[in-house]
Amino acid sequence: MTKLENFINSFNKTFIVEGRYKLFASGISNTIFIAFFATLMGIAIGLFIALVKTNAKNNRKLFVLDKICSLYVTIIRGTPVVVQLLIMYYVIFVNIDNSILVAILTFGINSGAYVSEIARAGIESVDKGQIEAGMSLGLDRKKTMIYIIFPQALKNILPALGNEFIALLKETSVAGYVPIIDLTKAGDIVRSRTWEPFFPLYSVALFYLVMVVGLTAVQKRLERRLSESDRN
Amino acid sequence: MIEIKNIKKSFGKNEVLKNINTEIKKGDKVVIIGPSGSGKSTLLRCMNLLETPTSGSIVFQGTDITDKKSDINKIRQRMGMVFQHFNLFPHLTVLENIMLAPVKLNLQTKEEAEENALRLLERIGLSDKKYEYPAMLSGGQKQRIAIVRSLSMKPEIMLFDEPTSALDPEMIGEVLKLMKDLAEDGMTMVVVTHEMGFAKSVANRILFMDEGKILEENNPQDFFLNPVHERSKEFLSKILYNI
Amino acid sequence: MKKVSVLLIVTMVFALTTGCSSKTTEQPAENTTNQEAAAQAEDNTLVMYTNAEFPPFEYFEGEKIVGVDVDIANEIAKDMGKELVVEHIDFSSIIPAVLNDKADFGAAGMTITPERQEQVDFSISYVESIQHIISKKDAEILDMEGLKGKKIGVQLGTTGDLAISDAVNLPEGDLYNSGAEVKTYKNALEASQDLLAGRVDAVVIDKLPAEEIVNGNEGLKSVVFGAISEAYGICVKKGNGELLNSINSTLQRLLDEGKIAEFIENHSK
Repeated sequence: MTKLENFINSFNKTFIVEGRYKLFASGISNTIFIAFFATLMGIAIGLFIALVKTNAKNNRKLFVLDKICSLYVTIIRGTPVVVQLLIMYYVIFVNIDNSILVAILTFGINSGAYVSEIARAGIESVDKGQIEAGMSLGLDRKKTMIYIIFPQALKNILPALGNEFIALLKETSVAGYVPIIDLTKAGDIVRSRTWEPFFPLYSVALFYLVMVVGLTAVQKRLERRLSESDRN
Repeated sequence: MIEIKNIKKSFGKNEVLKNINTEIKKGDKVVIIGPSGSGKSTLLRCMNLLETPTSGSIVFQGTDITDKKSDINKIRQRMGMVFQHFNLFPHLTVLENIMLAPVKLNLQTKEEAEENALRLLERIGLSDKKYEYPAMLSGGQKQRIAIVRSLSMKPEIMLFDEPTSALDPEMIGEVLKLMKDLAEDGMTMVVVTHEMGFAKSVANRILFMDEGKILEENNPQDFFLNPVHERSKEFLSKILYNI
Repeated sequence: MKKVSVLLIVTMVFALTTGCSSKTTEQPAENTTNQEAAAQAEDNTLVMYTNAEFPPFEYFEGEKIVGVDVDIANEIAKDMGKELVVEHIDFSSIIPAVLNDKADFGAAGMTITPERQEQVDFSISYVESIQHIISKKDAEILDMEGLKGKKIGVQLGTTGDLAISDAVNLPEGDLYNSGAEVKTYKNALEASQDLLAGRVDAVVIDKLPAEEIVNGNEGLKSVVFGAISEAYGICVKKGNGELLNSINSTLQRLLDEGKIAEFIENHSK
């Protein structure tokens, strides 16, 4: 067989035989699905913790909650996400039948810890005078946060947030440790059928790369739009 | 309008205000002067509770605002404040800066707030900047917009915390002019400033502070011509020498 | 010719004693073309029929047929002091050839099945892939039918995975569109944990891990999954006990010495 024939044959085995492209397609869609909802969850958790942490200084009632949040962040950042996934799937959420839901919870909770640090830094980076200006106009703390601090913090943290979500997308590649067919697992399955590493592995890598490059482009556009107010 | 009774304020061990007593009456134009570190800004910031006094009470229109039960947000809606560094919202346009508080507090509809904002911008001659972001404005323009942003809430009193200290000299005039206009319209004002010319021509009362105390309280004519307290004399001699 | 006559006698004796009819009515058409080969078989030869299109068990290397089964057959011939002759034929014609005495035995990576056992005798199995279905004790999942519509746990890349995935995903598969779902695990332990947790209804896995799992968990049982279990055997004409014994003893020796695994490895490159 010539090299070209070999190549075509491998391609054929990896994608065409038994409709294996469908496996890759569902792997990609699961990866995106998990990453997307985990991202939303991560933002929600991260913002909540950042709010608790930035307000705990002025509010004694938040003391206990603040300590719980610190503990959560320490545990999540101090343990590998694969281990978290296995614990979530086989111990904590053993009654949840839907493994993709467990993955979303795991990666969302994981991401929340990292987002909280990013968001806190972002909120703290907004000039204190902005809070005072809002309050002096009679806005309460909540409205000041929502209309004045968050939009500015968001602009500050968007690059870091974007990087976090790109990292998250790649981190979901360990989802296959539980019975989920994500992109990486799809490649593993095909590999176990064809006994050929070349095409499945390079394809998986290429698909991730395309997704990350796409996300990066979206991130750049968002940043540009948000920095409109800086233009001179 | 504002009665300040036995106000003390400490930051840690450092006592910044030592038993302050004074009263701001409706229509007053009070200028607070004194060397830096004398506590004048802190006193001003206590008036709308941006700083919480360690002890004492501040009664605004019959309400003790240091009382935890009083709704400080509601009270602040009636007191405008202008900062040394303007503190415009950089992510909002000029128009949005002015409209934000009245709209988000449901005091005015969007249309009313916009009409009001445009009228205020017209008054200060900055109508053409309504869609600009703060980053594109000069310092003087920023501060004038900060002032009308406060005015959009239709306050009963305006507090100015060194409103011209961060400005380039050529921009101070336009801001002082606007403040003077406000005073002439009858606005009750408390101003912390180093602008002695403004103090002389606009104030009906001068508070001279040093080391956390009000050392002298007088009308501008008497204060500038015949200061009583040793520290006042010393301070004025330095200021006037510099001029 | 001597060998053929010996075989004939043995067969007749057996036919008499067992009353088993050697009705070989369905003689294949290739018969005539292969008669020559059979005729050439001399006294001291051992004739093996195979289908040399099944690497690594048998395949052509140039003109020569080689493979695991050929290596095994060589050992058998050596032990019997005979000379091996290997013939290539259609897979479906191997059993007829054995029944027809054209071949002494068939060795072609042939799975031992009840249907084939009705026609020929098989040696002990020399390559095994026995799959089990593990399920909770109260579940009625014993075969392919029982797996319809169920969630089935498998270990990535194992025989069970390949067979169940094909059955579920391919249109011709037994579980296609039955609502059955495959869940792929990194190892058998985790699949069985999910079985205990109720997230899968059954786990299809090799015999050894299946036995370990069931031993370790009281609530589970395992049954042989006939539909996808595979055990290869060498087939001889029914009643040919002498030859079968020789084959079995050689196979047992090779298994004990680990030779067969070695052959498989040698031919798997």
